[in-house]
Amino acid sequence: MIGAGIKRGTAELAVLSVLEDGPLHGYEMARRIERQTKGALRFTLAALYPMLYRMEQRRWIRGSWETSDNGRRRRRYRLTPAGKKKVSPLRQEWSELFQALRRLKKVAHA
Amino acid sequence: MPDWQALVRSQLDGLALESHERAEVIEELAAHLDETFQGLRRRGFAEEDATHRCLNEVKDWQDLRRRIEIARRKENIMSNRVRQLWLPGLLTFTLAMGLLELMQKFFPEPFILHLDHPPVLLFYVPWLLTLPLAGAIGACLSKRAGGSMRMTLLSSVFPVLPLAAVFLTAIPVGLMLSHTLSHEIVAAAFLTLGIAWVAVPGLVLLVGGWLAQLFLSRRLDSRRIVGS
Repeated sequence: MIGAGIKRGTAELAVLSVLEDGPLHGYEMARRIERQTKGALRFTLAALYPMLYRMEQRRWIRGSWETSDNGRRRRRYRLTPAGKKKVSPLRQEWSELFQALRRLKKVAHA
Repeated sequence: MPDWQALVRSQLDGLALESHERAEVIEELAAHLDETFQGLRRRGFAEEDATHRCLNEVKDWQDLRRRIEIARRKENIMSNRVRQLWLPGLLTFTLAMGLLELMQKFFPEPFILHLDHPPVLLFYVPWLLTLPLAGAIGACLSKRAGGSMRMTLLSSVFPVLPLAAVFLTAIPVGLMLSHTLSHEIVAAAFLTLGIAWVAVPGLVLLVGGWLAQLFLSRRLDSRRIVGS
């Protein structure tokens, strides 16, 4: 199980990554992340929305209201150009961190 | 099935946002709970169990309210812009003007370049030679505050931005009002002033800023490589 601190740091990358495939609303986003990470990352409502609002303020994502066929109003989020630019450096940072941790593990086992 | 809208509204009572923003947040969170509930029901959960699981999505409503308020505030963006552009920019501006004052005191004679009759270009060469330092300082401050390349370079050329704005508005106004002088003379005067006080100092500041940005980016990259 992944700890809370690491989850917080990876959460933004997870959101940006799923939004790369297209706009999603909060519930779909949470479900997709849970499914794609095989349950390792699970967002509750309380964890998801403050983060989405924060990312929206940073202009990485933009939310807009849409009405579905059954008349339900839902807020869909999409990546902004600034958000698209952010994905790659964030991925790079996390990849470097995991590489460093793997190396550390090798050294410990040597 | 619980009335999710009513539940969220009562739990987030006192959410310190504009009324339309508050209504949107309530609607969005209620829709999320509703979809979670429907999803659980589709997966075979009993209504009571599904409701219980939905309510577990938020353990502490007061904490959620506080975090939404913090996330929705615009101060973070503002303070980022202040730290990454306005403060370094104003400091660069003050430094550049201070250096001009100082250089004019010690080297009062400008370099005069005669182009054509009548345009002449005045350059305070010692001042221009010190400007890359001011540009570099502005760029460093912006970069250290997490500024992007655009912000960094804007901070370095900040001292000429007000002058550029003045010239851009003064040229058309001057041309319109110059009844007595020929348009050619007014245009030539603005052109020479623009070159001497905007284009050349801007370029020199930009060189300093760009070099600083390049140096800092390389240093960050090498730190990352060492770090990884």
